[in-house]
Amino acid sequence: MPRPSPDSKPRLAPGCRLSDAPTQQATLLMPEGALKLRGPGLQILRSCDGQHTLAEIVATLQSQFRQADPKKVESDTTEFLEQLNARRAVDFE
Amino acid sequence: MKKVAPASPPASDDRNRDPQPPPNRGPQKSDFMPGPLALIAELTHRCPLHCVYCSNPLQMKPRTEELSTATWIDVFKQAANLGALQLDLTGGEPLARADLTELIAAARSAKLYTNLITSGIGLTPERFDALVRAGLDHIQISFQDSQAAQGDEFAGTTAHEKKLAIAAAIKKHRIGFTLNFVVHRGNLVRLEEMIALAENLGAQKVEIAHVQYYGWATENRAALLPTRLQLDRSLEIIQAAEARLRGRLRVDYVVPDYYARYPKACMGGWGRKLMLIDPSGEALPCHAARVIPNLHFENVTKRPLEWIWQESESFQKFRGEDWMQEPCRTCDRRTIDFGGCRCQALLLAGDAALTDPVCSLSPKHDLVTAITDRSNFPATHALASSSESTLVTPSWIYRPNPS
Repeated sequence: MPRPSPDSKPRLAPGCRLSDAPTQQATLLMPEGALKLRGPGLQILRSCDGQHTLAEIVATLQSQFRQADPKKVESDTTEFLEQLNARRAVDFE
Repeated sequence: MKKVAPASPPASDDRNRDPQPPPNRGPQKSDFMPGPLALIAELTHRCPLHCVYCSNPLQMKPRTEELSTATWIDVFKQAANLGALQLDLTGGEPLARADLTELIAAARSAKLYTNLITSGIGLTPERFDALVRAGLDHIQISFQDSQAAQGDEFAGTTAHEKKLAIAAAIKKHRIGFTLNFVVHRGNLVRLEEMIALAENLGAQKVEIAHVQYYGWATENRAALLPTRLQLDRSLEIIQAAEARLRGRLRVDYVVPDYYARYPKACMGGWGRKLMLIDPSGEALPCHAARVIPNLHFENVTKRPLEWIWQESESFQKFRGEDWMQEPCRTCDRRTIDFGGCRCQALLLAGDAALTDPVCSLSPKHDLVTAITDRSNFPATHALASSSESTLVTPSWIYRPNPS
């Protein structure tokens, strides 16, 4: 599978949404599965609204985590979203 | 996620921490049990289809015993309060319940993810619009085959063309959409066509599930069990499809456990992740659990869900490891597959507390080999026994409708 282009706009796939229960830990709900979100995972998925490009999402995280290696932030974010894409939880539009 | 057990027990006043089991021991009955992750609501056993492999029990619940709308809604709220994230609405055919839209709306208000598992029969574009407006998250439509004639034969009624029509209406909404195919000896030859159908109908996921031998499937096992050759070919097709469709169509594959080396982790472990409520309100740890003799199942009209989950005899019976016998008791895989399926141990070997006989380590595994041999070498068996021949066209036993 080709790597997603930095210009693509990730978006939660149909049937996938973030839990809206106030008492629950942040969770990505999907058909027959749920993913508990820790760290920046929740923030990344909140920006997967089909409006922001992958490059924009990465740039925001890089400016927030200044101590981290920018290349690592980029590769970790891309890999996270690719894995969710393989599970059909995220589309690249 | 359970934390690693510390060397010393936690302070008694630290109530926010999970009680820690001693090291080298799986979860035991006495430990704190987190609530179910998902609730499976078998809303009704009524169904317009009569599938030859239906997993419903042979003794189905009549309409007169079905739970009221208000009781179901209360059960959904209790499940959400116990920590359940997801609700599977199934049956029978859940669309046979006239209150389905109301039930979905209530489940969404209770913050549950709602999943409708349906044949699609009884769904119109208008009714589907209403379900989506009520908050339905995901719909799974079953197909019996890629071809109408064969699909209708396995379903025991005319259904295939109606399913195709409603699938077209589903694509218009942005909602999770899975196509489910139950595969067996009679349709595996069309596996590639089935995957192509899911692609063409615009599903996000296709579930290819081999028949599991419970309920009505057991009655038709000789005609349904695939050959080893069919199974090997189907694995090749699945692997090729997964690679080709990655990122577009997710392919989920449920293996036929009669051919597996180790058993499935049935229900993710007894009373560990899932709770099923039958149409009359009986709470079961597994779809087929009623086949186990001398086990009393509680009813949600009499007991709170939390008590049933935490305290009832039926949910405790095979929870943890205390009940295990050898080879499970000392097996490294006991925390992976939990000894397999209790109902299958009962159905095949007559004792629900035995290692699931599909496990290659089970001393009773020859029971399973004898069954698969009949599928793989039918000529030998047809000659030896004139009463059981799979060389002729099967005469199906169809699932009837409850009164």
